[in-house]
Amino acid sequence: MSTLKKFGRFDRFDFLTYPAVLFVFLLFTWMLAVYVTSSIPAFQREGWNVYFTNVWNASECPDKEYYGILAAIWGSLYTSTIALLVALPLSISYSIFVVDYAPKRLKGILEITSDIMAGLPTIIYGIWGAFFLVPFLKEWVMMPVYNYLSFIPIFSQKPVSGFSFFSAGVLLGIMITPFVSAVVREAYTTIPHTYREAAYSLGLTRYEATKILIGYVKPAMISGTILGFGRAIGETVAVSLVVGNAFNLSADPFSPGYTISSLIATQYGNSFIYTHMTSVLYAAGLFLFLVGLFITLLGMYVLRRWKKNVSI
Amino acid sequence: MSESEYAIEVENLNIYYGNNHVIKSINLKIPQKTVFAIMGPSGCGKSTMLRSFNRLLDLNKNVRVNGSVHLFGRDIYTGDMDSVEVRREVGMVFQYPNPFPHLSIYNNIALGLKMNKLVKSDKELDERIEWALKKAGLWEEVKHRLNDYPSGLSGGQRQRLVIARVIAMKPKVIMMDEPTANIDPVGSKKIEDLIFELKKDYTIVLVTHNPAQAARVSDYVAFIYLGELVEAGETGKIFTAPESKLTEKYLTGKLV
Ligand SMILES: Nc1ncnc2c1ncn2[C@@H]1O[C@H](COP(=O)(O)OP(=O)(O)O)[C@@H](O)[C@H]1O
Ligand SMILES: [Mg+2]
Repeated sequence: MSTLKKFGRFDRFDFLTYPAVLFVFLLFTWMLAVYVTSSIPAFQREGWNVYFTNVWNASECPDKEYYGILAAIWGSLYTSTIALLVALPLSISYSIFVVDYAPKRLKGILEITSDIMAGLPTIIYGIWGAFFLVPFLKEWVMMPVYNYLSFIPIFSQKPVSGFSFFSAGVLLGIMITPFVSAVVREAYTTIPHTYREAAYSLGLTRYEATKILIGYVKPAMISGTILGFGRAIGETVAVSLVVGNAFNLSADPFSPGYTISSLIATQYGNSFIYTHMTSVLYAAGLFLFLVGLFITLLGMYVLRRWKKNVSI
Repeated sequence: MSESEYAIEVENLNIYYGNNHVIKSINLKIPQKTVFAIMGPSGCGKSTMLRSFNRLLDLNKNVRVNGSVHLFGRDIYTGDMDSVEVRREVGMVFQYPNPFPHLSIYNNIALGLKMNKLVKSDKELDERIEWALKKAGLWEEVKHRLNDYPSGLSGGQRQRLVIARVIAMKPKVIMMDEPTANIDPVGSKKIEDLIFELKKDYTIVLVTHNPAQAARVSDYVAFIYLGELVEAGETGKIFTAPESKLTEKYLTGKLV
């Protein structure tokens, strides 16, 4: 309670910020409402099949139109998971290096670099990904894996173009690393000095002490990871350029696919031609909306529980 | 190399944080199996000096330590001993009770034992942990919840857990940096009793800014003021007949 209120005076900031808060809240509900109402026709026509089948029959004849976005849902989960597998080790080692090992000057440079990386427009990543990363991964990762590991079923197909779940996952991993590492780095620097001292005072080596301190901030890292996953699953432009854009339910990481957001981005232009497609794209958007909401809430929940647990 | 009769011998110790000279030419001898109190007003350099005895100052890159510290006759800063070995033998209890909040009560104690390979089997680990908790007077209070996190313990219990964590390693010296500063009176009393008990087996270096506490539990006391050693000697003598006017003023509360 502010002291001003006690004396019967307005806290002017309180007062002035109400409309803005209300506006943001209304915008959120409004958007959610638009997505729900616009998806309803698709659900009425196809039911849950919109989400659980893999078909894309865009037909001039509305009766023959039929859509199911399962392949895109699969692609979103698959590429985001690959992204995390790339981003997590990168972020953790990067953070530990920046905080614990880097000399002061390098530390500043590295911090600024990752902030810049986080702020780059995603199209920059997309073009770099399509023209450089994809051919590079094809030559140096996909082909060797195919040559030596093709006895494993998911690697048994010869990579064709390089545009694939894997390329999209790696690119996404690189893109979210600055975000995940910012969370990890912040968590890691906020470890109270007394725990650092406790670890070393027990005769732990630097490596052992670091391991214990990482354990202390693990939940913060998990929530950073969850937020990173949310970012990866929503990323659109760069992914559309490297994922290959094909309806494909395959587990083969080197085959082309779709993600929900790349599906929406690439099909949006066609949706005016067809009668039922727009509503399906809304339904796809709704799915992403809800997944994003869920992931963000989960990340915040994990972080809050951790803060409560370790608070002293 | 002859084993010294002193647990710790400090010779011409100077410590700097950057250009800030905080410990000034201190000489000190700490006899074995006694409670040696280091007292002085806040900011005079007690914590800094203590952290030079287990090389915890090494964590801070801006710190410079000159002079020598011997642990049972061995120089801890030259090639004689590495920092990990020093810290294994000189345990430390902190001003703020700091068991790791993400490790269970059991694992808080197990950590140092496992990492330093001080026990050979799980059974020995269990036994050592029980032994340490009993020594720290905490066993009865936690034996049913060894797998709980320390967040459920009171401040005093946490501090005894930290003491158990140290005892379990069977160090030669236990250092305590104002161990009761953040603990309620009942918890403080328990810890003071514990210090009394522990000196049978360990050399205890106790930092306190509370002269009454030094009087209650210590055998020897050193008074430090602005980074300099004013005087050191048997507790009884320092408290009844201090040589320095400064000490007298401090003990009578006339020095802030
Ligand atoms: N990490 C540090 N960096 C720089 N100066 C420090 C640091 N820790 C302590 N000091 C300075 O060293 C002096 C002694 O501090 P300290 O050893 O903590 O005293 P005490 O434990 O007796 O209160 C103080 O002037 C303090 O400001
Ligand atoms: Mg202190």
